[in-house]
Amino acid sequence: MPALYALMIRRLLPARFAIVGVARTEGTDDSWRAEMEQAVKDHARDEFRQDVWDELAALMRYVSTDFADEGGEDKLEQMIESCEQEKDLGGNRVYYLAVPPPAFPTIVEALGKRKDARGWTRLIVEKPFGHDLASARRLNELLWAHFEEREIFRIDHYLGKETVQNMLALRFANGIFEPIWNRQFVDHVQITVAESIGIEARAGYYESAGAIRDIFQNHLLQLLALTAMEPPIDFTAESVRNEKVKVLKSLHTPGPKSIVRGQYGRGFVEGEEVAAYREEQGVASESMTETYVAAKLFVDNWRWADTPFYVRMGKRLARRETTIALQFKSAPHPPFEESATEGLRPNVLLIHVQPDEGVSLAIGAKVPGQGMQIRTVHMDFLYGGAFRTGIPEAYERLILDVMLGEATLFTRADETEEQWLLVDAIVAQWQRDKTSFPNYEAGTWGPISSDELLHRDGRSWRRH
Amino acid sequence: MAAPLELDLWTGEDVRIADVDTALAQLRARASLEAPSMRTSVMTHLAWVPDEWLERARDALAGMAERHPSRTVLLTPDPGNAMSRVDATVSLECYQAPGAARNVCSEVIELRLLGARAKAPASVVLPLLISDLPVFLRWRGLPTWGSPELEQLVGVVDRLIVDSTEWDDLPAAYARLAELFDRVAVSDIAWARTSRWRHLLASLWPEIGAVRTLRVHGTPAQALLLVGWLRSRLGRDDIELEHVDAERLEGIELDGKPAPFPPGDPPQPSDVLSEELETFTRDPVYEAAVRAVVA
Repeated sequence: MPALYALMIRRLLPARFAIVGVARTEGTDDSWRAEMEQAVKDHARDEFRQDVWDELAALMRYVSTDFADEGGEDKLEQMIESCEQEKDLGGNRVYYLAVPPPAFPTIVEALGKRKDARGWTRLIVEKPFGHDLASARRLNELLWAHFEEREIFRIDHYLGKETVQNMLALRFANGIFEPIWNRQFVDHVQITVAESIGIEARAGYYESAGAIRDIFQNHLLQLLALTAMEPPIDFTAESVRNEKVKVLKSLHTPGPKSIVRGQYGRGFVEGEEVAAYREEQGVASESMTETYVAAKLFVDNWRWADTPFYVRMGKRLARRETTIALQFKSAPHPPFEESATEGLRPNVLLIHVQPDEGVSLAIGAKVPGQGMQIRTVHMDFLYGGAFRTGIPEAYERLILDVMLGEATLFTRADETEEQWLLVDAIVAQWQRDKTSFPNYEAGTWGPISSDELLHRDGRSWRRH
Repeated sequence: MAAPLELDLWTGEDVRIADVDTALAQLRARASLEAPSMRTSVMTHLAWVPDEWLERARDALAGMAERHPSRTVLLTPDPGNAMSRVDATVSLECYQAPGAARNVCSEVIELRLLGARAKAPASVVLPLLISDLPVFLRWRGLPTWGSPELEQLVGVVDRLIVDSTEWDDLPAAYARLAELFDRVAVSDIAWARTSRWRHLLASLWPEIGAVRTLRVHGTPAQALLLVGWLRSRLGRDDIELEHVDAERLEGIELDGKPAPFPPGDPPQPSDVLSEELETFTRDPVYEAAVRAVVA
């Protein structure tokens, strides 16, 4: 709702429009509006404006129903038809499904059967998109039975982030980066998706998902695909997604020594002692669910052969950070004395996805004064400082794209299946190889074995 | 040294680190509205500053931002406080880049760690470190040897900067300091302040090789470090130290004969700290001098 409010305040919503909230919870239009008003006040990026909210609230209706009940979907259909007649909407519908997986088939079937032939129908599907390759394929088959692929928008909100899109601009709108964006110049790539929070009352979901299904399967592999993909011939949905799929297909399954998993124990975050994962409410006391994954991946193609992509993601890490770092090879023959470069680190192009959206380039520069002393400095491009407009939230962009029928920033069926193929292979290894949990303290950067993963290659994680 | 062009400030009680990040982003955005601003960083500078050192620490920081564009995090522990929370003051110091119509800005974050939050300072600062850049820790006063606070912070920094002039229990404290040498590079401002004198004494070679007694008019730390340096460089442990207490290094006598005064003026506190922030590796000469003091 904060995203819709942001679109409303910028006059980006259609002139004729209605929003229908659907849930099993008993409620009325007014009770739902009050709940959403509070959500907007708490979470919107813009200051709350009563006039804008009143305008939006007037478009909102609520239906309390359960599709599992006989005729449950009819209540929704009646409400939608009533809105369409009242506002002369012409039959265009966007359905946004944020529902538990068991409810999915019934709802998809019901919506599919009631498509309005007068206009278009688009379906937004939130993660988790399946639990493994087999379930993802079943979901795709279910969706295809009622919808065409162009009507399905599998949402991964990371793709809606400005900085993720900016990486495409950085790579493909500048002549200086793409020529060095390859194995000849890049020593390795590091992708970090770190959260300092724990599971936040999501034990039911997280216990069966773990870090590999929660983050690795979707956000992380999408970031990797965007980093490694070839330039698309144009910026249409099919061209971009074709290139991403090629990257996902070229990832080979890492061996057991190239994958590290972890689970957090007690520790300190921002000075506060926090519970171990196994002490979180709803988590089994002997849980073997991983809250951390690190891996060394290879993209087996002409551009990236033998260039490691080190990726890591986890909960209760030292800080919240999503970054993509390309570490370049060192200068082949620096003509300086060793002592002149003792503070020098390799060049790193760092893309901050969140927080502090922007790009940093670490370069060596001479310290002013006598002699030749060189040290690393950061040149920062911060989004907030360069452009006067605020950065839109990911969901604003994505919801607007769905209304416009623009699918570039959504995941196609074959992408999700390739992602699951890799995850299934990794999880299968874990069935044979048990790890001792917990193996990292909350508030740190993960298990020691994660550091060893890079040390074996003579490298280390970017320091924080 | 130029005065900051603008000084913008945000304060908050019982904050999360995300609040500090947000405040920094807003301050940067505000600064860039007034003039194009660059955030240029060369390090994260942490300082462990108990209350009694706070004013002196702020004074030493004056002008640092201009020479070392960085993020400075001042940590003031208040473990006896009944409340358990973190209070923050966040400011942005901007300087006009020479010859350019834009500013270079540095960030100063003052965190007061109240109650239990003072026990795990590393977990508070870890989210604030600037990625990929060196981290320096200036520990004000005598380090609390073996305490979780010191152990944690030493574990996240590249260099520990102390001033042994601030310590009471010399030379015993040097033995505790030497235990850290293999874990973190150490700088000592007291040692840096003897630099001019060491250059001068070295110029007295080879005569100085036969010195028997070193009389130092200075702080206890300077006297001990100078004799430790001579003993370790000359490979002799029979050089006697005579110490005449003074607030600063005022003179040296070798076997009763005054050494010439080194040229130039003593450096200002911020100059000394500034120089230490340009050193990255271990200082084997200093380490040997400290070990010679406690041998």
